[in-house]
Amino acid sequence: MSHWMRKVLESKRATRQRLAALPFSEKLKLLEKLRDRSLAIARSPLRRQQHHKV
Amino acid sequence: MAMKTTLEVINRMQAEGVIGKYAIGGAVGATFYLEPSATLDIDIFVAPKNTQGSSLLTVAPIYDYLTSRGYKTEKEHVVIEGWPVQFLPPGDALDEEALQQAVETEVEGVRTWVITAEHLVAMALKTARAKDFTRILQFVESGVLDADKLDQILTRHGLLEKWEQFGVKFLRGNA
Repeated sequence: MSHWMRKVLESKRATRQRLAALPFSEKLKLLEKLRDRSLAIARSPLRRQQHHKV
Repeated sequence: MAMKTTLEVINRMQAEGVIGKYAIGGAVGATFYLEPSATLDIDIFVAPKNTQGSSLLTVAPIYDYLTSRGYKTEKEHVVIEGWPVQFLPPGDALDEEALQQAVETEVEGVRTWVITAEHLVAMALKTARAKDFTRILQFVESGVLDADKLDQILTRHGLLEKWEQFGVKFLRGNA
């Protein structure tokens, strides 16, 4: 594994640990934002067009 | 919509005797221990009150209570304050134990309960969908699991063989 790739993976792991250490209430607020984004993507006409193509 | 409000409604059901003990499971429960990951619904493991004279556990009173208060159903979910909630009565001894041993916590001052990390892993192992395996790997990597406690749960509920198979497939060489 390259030095660069190792740094990327370490950075991702550190971010996950930082997020996991947040209070539950804070994490649920992030989860709510993730859900809103998922719903927005699901409603997107672009996504629906893509879906029909498959 | 704030999940806090959803939990307040569920707590009110509990206070009014519609449900007994409850605990958050699934992706929202896992978020108590791990980084948040996207989910569209909330899994609530719940001990429904028995119908008089019946030993059957049914979630029908929960749905009756909520729909009579204007909450809509969507397939197996009830949408409570914007969040689809699935109420799951314990399906086996593992679910019952997970519910009984759930951890008490608070969400913005609202009291609630979450299934332990070790029980969530055992339940994911039992369910064994691709997303369950991903979640188990997240738990293993996070280091939050109590290995002895997990081992006892897996032994008690006959999941050791499944755990070994999971280890061979996903964990060997990654330690």
